[in-house]
Amino acid sequence: MIHNRRTSAEKIFSRVTGKDVKAGEFVWAKPDLVYLHDVLGPMTIEAMKRIDNGNVRFTGQIVVVNDHIFPPKDVTSSNNEKNLVEFAKNRGWIVIPWGEGIEHTLLIEKGIILPGMLVAGTDSHTVTAGAVGAMGVGLGSTDMAALISIGKLWFKVPETILVKVHGKKGKFVTGKDVVLKILSILGTNGANYKSIEVRLDKECGLSQDDSLAIANMTVEAGAKTSIIMNEAVNKVRTDIISDYRSDYEELDLGMEGMVPLIAAPYLPSNVKPVSDYEGIDVDQVYIGNCSNGTLSDMRETAKILKGNHVKAGVKLIIVPATRNIYKQALEEGLIRVFVEAGATVAPSTCGACAGLHMGVLAKDEVCITNINRNFRGRMGDSSSKVYIANSYVAAASAISGKITVPGE
Amino acid sequence: MARIFLFGNNIDTDVIAPGGYLHLPLEAQKVHCFESIYPHFSKRAKRGDIIIAGENFGSGSSREQAPALLKEIGIVGVFAKSFSRLFFRNAINVGLFIGTYDSDSTFSDFDEVLVSFENEEIRSQNSVLHFISPSGIPKDILMAGGMINFAKKVIENEDADEDKLTG
Repeated sequence: MIHNRRTSAEKIFSRVTGKDVKAGEFVWAKPDLVYLHDVLGPMTIEAMKRIDNGNVRFTGQIVVVNDHIFPPKDVTSSNNEKNLVEFAKNRGWIVIPWGEGIEHTLLIEKGIILPGMLVAGTDSHTVTAGAVGAMGVGLGSTDMAALISIGKLWFKVPETILVKVHGKKGKFVTGKDVVLKILSILGTNGANYKSIEVRLDKECGLSQDDSLAIANMTVEAGAKTSIIMNEAVNKVRTDIISDYRSDYEELDLGMEGMVPLIAAPYLPSNVKPVSDYEGIDVDQVYIGNCSNGTLSDMRETAKILKGNHVKAGVKLIIVPATRNIYKQALEEGLIRVFVEAGATVAPSTCGACAGLHMGVLAKDEVCITNINRNFRGRMGDSSSKVYIANSYVAAASAISGKITVPGE
Repeated sequence: MARIFLFGNNIDTDVIAPGGYLHLPLEAQKVHCFESIYPHFSKRAKRGDIIIAGENFGSGSSREQAPALLKEIGIVGVFAKSFSRLFFRNAINVGLFIGTYDSDSTFSDFDEVLVSFENEEIRSQNSVLHFISPSGIPKDILMAGGMINFAKKVIENEDADEDKLTG
């Protein structure tokens, strides 16, 4: 290994620490931006009060997004959000207006998360920042409280797994299938503590929204962070991506012959072709969260639903990830397609994706969805089951009432 | 004596701290801990008990409620072949001891054992399991009793350094 070849993680951590750091090193680092949500945010401010009476030494941007339980479902969640907003406003933090959307999708859309940044959030899906070439790292609430109170936090510079994706994508195949394939190879902890860097060749024909779906679910392989370079839509940033033959493990992934995939209960890595589960009855179809509530997902869903109606007895819930996506879906006539198909269009919230509210599953119910986790009890009752697939598959299953391969 | 509660691989945070109750105080969440795979865990476990699990314990969410609930219930140590990154950090931060082990555990559910954090071993009448404690900064945080105390110390030290420079 030649000394000055560096991985993406080494470049970003070197910049924020002002030192030449290597993978495996423990460092104290100050992220460029941190963000908190309404579930771990209230715990963060309580911990801040205990550490140093709520004093702030962190000098980067601090953003609050009330997205997990919005609109609030009960008095407790409503009070939590009110207190968080008051605490944040008193300190001049950026408070995102109510109902703007789900943080990971929203902060990218608003240009608050920018390429090359080190970003920390009180949520495991902070890794989504990788979609625009930023390094997003999830933290718990006391870690976040320490970071804001001290001004910096300890991190281990992660090792890197570089995934090179090539080949043209097939019909009804999306970024969701790419990341499910990666999870099936790495398993649920194959990238624990590591950075997953994904290079999407120009010929793959994947969009920015596909990048978002891929970055988002890298954490399901245990990844600490992710960096996506999608050559079809991004300018190659040599100051961000890993240098050729720097210190990474390499994984090669061809898209030729790839078919829509599905992750069956109870692990996101339990991945098979959708056809393996075809015909299983579903009670609910849930489309939209921080990985796949994008405008592309809305369009893919509408393409399948147009002129069709949801199967009698099946609940179809569609969640545009942000207010802006909702608005664009409205302007493109997609919302009309959803409503005419018998869907319930829900506000932008984490909602039932994390079993919080707005579509929580009942006993023994089966849900097919484009969210990111299918753990036991994830979306509701312990006996319910969650299958994860792309939006085409979810929408096609809503029409037939069974897990369905789109286009058949 | 501690009692052992055995768990398998990939015990995720949704199972430890289900989403529907995360916004409630810990006291109200306790009864739901492990409810989908181990009903009434919070009533069966007693203060001083430990958990021994397989690979990838605590996978999934950043929710600190997961280790905080285990600590609230009285669990004094979680021992696993490996931990997910976020659970690892969160456990250390709330002052819940976690250790890793390589060899196969031969313990059974509810075995009564003695845990020696000093000698890094869990010992029953006829079996022993060696574990490895956290090292480096995570060890320092644990020794301080968790991140709250550790962060206080860091701030005190930095303020003292500044006083030296300016004084």
